[in-house]
Amino acid sequence: MENVLSILFCLSLFYVAVTWRVKAYVTVLRFQGLILAVLLMIPFIYHFSIFGIILPFTLLLVKVFLIPRYINKIILDLDVKRRIEPTIQQMFFLLLVIVSMIIIFLVSNIISQKTPLDVIPFASGFSAIIVGIYIIMFRKKLIIHVCGFLILENGIFLFSSAVASEFPMMIEIGILLDVFVVVFLMGIALNKISSTFEGFEVTHLGRLKD
Amino acid sequence: MDIKILQGIISLIIILILAPLFAGLVNKQKAILTGRVGAPILQPYYELIKLIKKETINASSSSFISRVSPIINLTSLIIAAAILPVGFWKPLISFNGDIILFAYILGLARFFQILAAMDIGSSFEGMGASREATFALFAEPIFFFTIGSISFLSGYTSIYDIYHSIQLTNISYEVFIVICSISVFMLAVTECSRMPIDDPNTHLELTMIHEVMILDNSGIDLFLYQYSSYIKLFIYAILEISFFYPFSQQSYILGIIIFITGSLALSFTLGVVETITSRYKMKNIPQYLLFATAIGILNLLIYTFTK
Repeated sequence: MENVLSILFCLSLFYVAVTWRVKAYVTVLRFQGLILAVLLMIPFIYHFSIFGIILPFTLLLVKVFLIPRYINKIILDLDVKRRIEPTIQQMFFLLLVIVSMIIIFLVSNIISQKTPLDVIPFASGFSAIIVGIYIIMFRKKLIIHVCGFLILENGIFLFSSAVASEFPMMIEIGILLDVFVVVFLMGIALNKISSTFEGFEVTHLGRLKD
Repeated sequence: MDIKILQGIISLIIILILAPLFAGLVNKQKAILTGRVGAPILQPYYELIKLIKKETINASSSSFISRVSPIINLTSLIIAAAILPVGFWKPLISFNGDIILFAYILGLARFFQILAAMDIGSSFEGMGASREATFALFAEPIFFFTIGSISFLSGYTSIYDIYHSIQLTNISYEVFIVICSISVFMLAVTECSRMPIDDPNTHLELTMIHEVMILDNSGIDLFLYQYSSYIKLFIYAILEISFFYPFSQQSYILGIIIFITGSLALSFTLGVVETITSRYKMKNIPQYLLFATAIGILNLLIYTFTK
């Protein structure tokens, strides 16, 4: 079951690599949040505990409802153009993602021979981290950078769940809070930028002087 | 006669008879979803009967290729149909490595269709042929990555053996079904020139791929082309349904039920997809196909690293 969900997670990464629409990024974030929440809930099917169920539900609330809704609100408020603006061709981006994913699967297979870990969740999380970084590198819009950061963060989450089966719960919730605050701050920053510059591209920031 | 051969012949006949019905079902569902009454489900049969009564006229510039191509096309498609199992019956043609035959017999059909389109000498058809060749180039890896990975999983290279040997205790098969169905669906959409790639209903030559190649054909030739395109759609549908055959290892009846429900579900999915998507720009199609290839590669990766 974990494997199926991780593979769906990988598929969402491919989708992110080919889509042209800003809204699709938000949908993918929702989807990934849902997958992570379900992934965390699976152990509680067998031995239920009220205390343990808090984390999946917090995750669901933050990643599926709060953050995407907030990003959608920013997109609407600031009237961001609906098309992403890549700096390289989408086709090459997809090829880059495929090649990186192959390398990551190879590497994680090698690692798994030394230390015990689930290859597929590990490699999927790892790929999400890399794809998140690529998105930040190869897209111009700032709002997409926020999405890229969130995908990276989802990757870290999946990655950690493959390596250590349980983090202390308070740490996980702390991370979630962190992420939410970061997104919130990014939103405020975007608002400020929008009042200074037309459009929300990184290229504008290059002209800044102190 | 051996009972196995009889079963093979029956399943081939089933495929050949039901193929236009499947296309009709998809069109009907598409019509209902867009709020129209739509043509009757049996409309493809009526059209085929209408075509068979008409006179065949060949362009004056065409050579013998245009005359043999429709027949070669239909024959190749029938051979490809004979490789696929219906329910749990052994298909007529089944030997080690028949997945390669399956891929390239379809390739042969496409090759002759492209050749015939160029043979007529119309610039529109040459354009269609060029597009078909380009997109076929991108579609081939999807097939080999997907079916190749499933054949690795089972250890066999014959379509019939693959689905007979897979044990459902093998957990990675569930993953496979999810991924393979997506990539084979994209492959089917491409090969059969359905909606996101090509609009089967359009009659503007500049935007067509498959339909533009048969613009100059009429009568029996057009009948053969149309019929083979229906068979092609149904073949890919069966290819997709066969992923679910391992669930029916107990009985023949279950296999037939899976076949029927699978066809219905797939026609519904095709109808929905064709309703909610619009045709892509030509330059975006290779990207779409590369996406499907990426899914296929992912499939192979999963197989390789979870053994």
